[in-house]
Amino acid sequence: MATIGTVFDIREMTVHDGPGLRTTVFLKGCPLRCAWCHNPEGVAAAPQTMRSPAGERIAGRAYTSEELAGILNGQASLLRDIGGVTFSGGEPAMQAAFVAETIDRLEGLHVTLDTSGSAPEQDFLLLAQRCDLVLFDLKLMDADAHRRWTGSDNGLILANLAALAGLGKPFVIRVPLVPGVTDTDENLSAIAERASALPGPPRVELLPYNRAAGGKYAACGLPWQPEFDETAPIRANLKPFRNLNVEAVIQ
Amino acid sequence: MTTNQIDPEATCAGRLVELSPRLAEIKRRIRAGEHHRFRATETIDVRAECDAEGLSWPQRAARLTRRMCEAQTVVIEPDERIVFTRTVRSTPPIYSDEQMQALTAGRTLHELGPISNICADWGMVLSQGLIARRRTALDTRRRLAGDARAVEFLDCAVETIDAVLTLAARYAEEARRMGRDDVAEVLDRVPALPAASFREALQSLRICHAVLWLGGHYHCGFGRFDRYMWPYLQADLDAGRLDEAAAEELLAEFFISLNRDSDLYPGIQQGDNGQSLMLGGVRPDGSSGVNPLTAMALRVARATALIDPKINLRVDGETDLDLLATAVELTRIGLGFPQYANDEVVIPGLVAAGYELQDARDYTVAACWEFIIPGRGMEVVNIGAASMPAAADRAIRAGLSEGETFERILERAGADLRAQVRDLAAASRKLLLPPAPYYSVLMDGCLERGRDLSEGLKYNNFGIHGAASSSAADALAAVRSLVFEEKRVAPDRLLRALDTDFAEDEPLLRMLREEAPKVGNNDERADALLVKLFDLFAEACAAAGDNARGGRYRPGSGSAMYYVWLARGHEGMREPSVGATADGRRAGEFFSSSLAPSPGVAVRGPFSALQSFGKIDYERVCNGGPLTMEISDSLFRGGDAARKVALFVGAFVKSGCQQLQLNTLNAETLKDAQVHPELHRNLVVRVWGWSGYFCELDRAYQDQIIGRHIFGD
Repeated sequence: MATIGTVFDIREMTVHDGPGLRTTVFLKGCPLRCAWCHNPEGVAAAPQTMRSPAGERIAGRAYTSEELAGILNGQASLLRDIGGVTFSGGEPAMQAAFVAETIDRLEGLHVTLDTSGSAPEQDFLLLAQRCDLVLFDLKLMDADAHRRWTGSDNGLILANLAALAGLGKPFVIRVPLVPGVTDTDENLSAIAERASALPGPPRVELLPYNRAAGGKYAACGLPWQPEFDETAPIRANLKPFRNLNVEAVIQ
Repeated sequence: MTTNQIDPEATCAGRLVELSPRLAEIKRRIRAGEHHRFRATETIDVRAECDAEGLSWPQRAARLTRRMCEAQTVVIEPDERIVFTRTVRSTPPIYSDEQMQALTAGRTLHELGPISNICADWGMVLSQGLIARRRTALDTRRRLAGDARAVEFLDCAVETIDAVLTLAARYAEEARRMGRDDVAEVLDRVPALPAASFREALQSLRICHAVLWLGGHYHCGFGRFDRYMWPYLQADLDAGRLDEAAAEELLAEFFISLNRDSDLYPGIQQGDNGQSLMLGGVRPDGSSGVNPLTAMALRVARATALIDPKINLRVDGETDLDLLATAVELTRIGLGFPQYANDEVVIPGLVAAGYELQDARDYTVAACWEFIIPGRGMEVVNIGAASMPAAADRAIRAGLSEGETFERILERAGADLRAQVRDLAAASRKLLLPPAPYYSVLMDGCLERGRDLSEGLKYNNFGIHGAASSSAADALAAVRSLVFEEKRVAPDRLLRALDTDFAEDEPLLRMLREEAPKVGNNDERADALLVKLFDLFAEACAAAGDNARGGRYRPGSGSAMYYVWLARGHEGMREPSVGATADGRRAGEFFSSSLAPSPGVAVRGPFSALQSFGKIDYERVCNGGPLTMEISDSLFRGGDAARKVALFVGAFVKSGCQQLQLNTLNAETLKDAQVHPELHRNLVVRVWGWSGYFCELDRAYQDQIIGRHIFGD
């Protein structure tokens, strides 16, 4: 009996979700409430109605793992040569059993996991072990700041990061650069320090905040009132990473 | 699970070329139309002397070319190195309307009349020079002295050659008078003699090509430019006469020069002029024919950023990713080219259609996308279109009214396509191709045989396009799924809705649009019908027999202007137009251009589209007609973006699709251009088989472009 999951989008030819060209599956539901989230329809676990001048649509559809894997395997002859499949969200580890079962059904495809790391360790590892590459989001090192801006503690995230490093899988740390929130010298230095202490150390990618982030809130029936200054310049400071010999790039 | 090795660090290959200040200035003047001041206000009269001398049609065609060459004022701007500027605006008639009617009684002319949409053997012309061509003509004339038709043709050919040589000599004289010995020395040699340098080859091509247009020919292609030009460039580079930067400067000037007179060229919309240029591909033995000029031409076209020439690139599974990335850098700037052709699909298709393998390997494109063999084809690649939506719609309406099965409806669609093709074929057998002595000089074997190219060359096929196929397949898929299989829609309800343009049944319109299977989603329920329609169409073309010129009818998948015409009708059009259709399309709404998901349907994405359209049996559908895709310019963010988009071109090859038009669009920019055209004068878009300036297009074409699917947004 195949497990059922909820997916809010399957996008073909994504270019920023791992090596090459990919088909990215966006899984619905996320434990975090990041103030800058650009996929608000990925937050709630259940399907929801999106309303816009163009009409209504339901974001979120149930798939069996068999059905989802069938769609992805249908593209395998193309994807094998040029990239692969990425599971993103939302937080894919919130539907770990479904995603793991889907991955197990894939036929020779490169799999990337794009995760916040915010999941029970066993769920996180269930997926991380099955993937070829993990894109691991690290937002704020300070626990209080993390609670304030994402609504949760970062203890689980940091523990999963350490567990991931122990797996020996290729992984990348991704830092969204939100002006005045995550792009502070203090935060970037702390992330650099943590990264440098990991075996490898892993490469760090800095993702400057995109002001289109608020675009989908109205359609979700949510207010968009970020408490940070969207218009402030983003400080994409690579120095803390260079100082510690951590490879870092701005995406 | 495998671990695919894709290097995320890989970055784009190929440095970018920038226009020198000299060329930027030449480009600016052309875009501003400053050279229009050289254009004569009066037209020339050729017909009077033709009538007075009682000249034959071939003689009149030759006389026209000669007088047009003579009427040109020599224009050499101080900063130009590759010269020729057209100064006579229009090509005058050589017959009165009454004379023409009498000449063509019972026959029809193709489009405007003169030979168009073929490709000369430019490699032969550049390597022989016109004096050698003249010698060949005279040799044949001696050999065939008793053949009056051959003698007349060869005399006409010589007259046109002499006209071009005289024109070049006048340019040389003026250059010398101006102290421009560099220009004079080039023109002393070409196009009379074989080109001895890259610059000479470009100058020779510029003049020989421009004279075709002077004589009333149009949609004159450039063929496999990097194949025939590379020997000249290579010799210059090897001898140290040119370095790469100097070569790029010359090439850029040549490309820019092709935009100087193009507003005088006939076309359905400004920009539809068929100055297509092919790059890449294989040699006659099947080995790679890519050379350093391949990438250079792509880089230079990116730097010039003008709508001419229209670049095409032949690709296969072996094509280097660096070359594709260089090509994609050109895609990125939104000109709508290069257009990619898949050698792995095109060549077997041509061979299956009866082309010799060596010739098939030498293919280029005609004006837009149809595959032809340079120098060896007198093919009329677009004699018309079979309206696939009309075939499907009439079959659906008749079949449902009669209570027939779905299989019977498909049979009706097949019969409809056969009837449409039969009618087009019957009309095409009356085609009268006018004599073209100058064009014949540039083709293989005409001078050698003493026969004008209008009498036929090695390949003489006609092409018919199966237009607006996605909408037709969607209509059939909707009927099969919703009426026959799921029985959610009663036949009467659908028929009534079609008759009333869905005015009283919005819910059905929505159901057809949103719940029926659609082509482009790799959904077998719709794709199988797309494949079936093309199979039926291929059978119809095969059944049409020969074209009375020793050729057959090649089925294609292009739509050209038919995505508008078949939806709305057009004066003088032979093809049927349709009203509302069962795919949930209201009367008058456009179809998609060539191969693309129907406008407005929900599509999964570009991979699914490749897979849907890769299912067509292109061995039977070899005329050409591209899968047309718009991608968002946002895909190009990030350092390795070009390489990633290049991977998509690789996926196109793998998918088994035949031809790909990959366009970069930003819908917001286009909308702004409709409101503020003055701010977007240089905004270029791909229309169908060609690129044009957005603001110069009719509103209907602008709207269709804005409504296309944009992937990656």
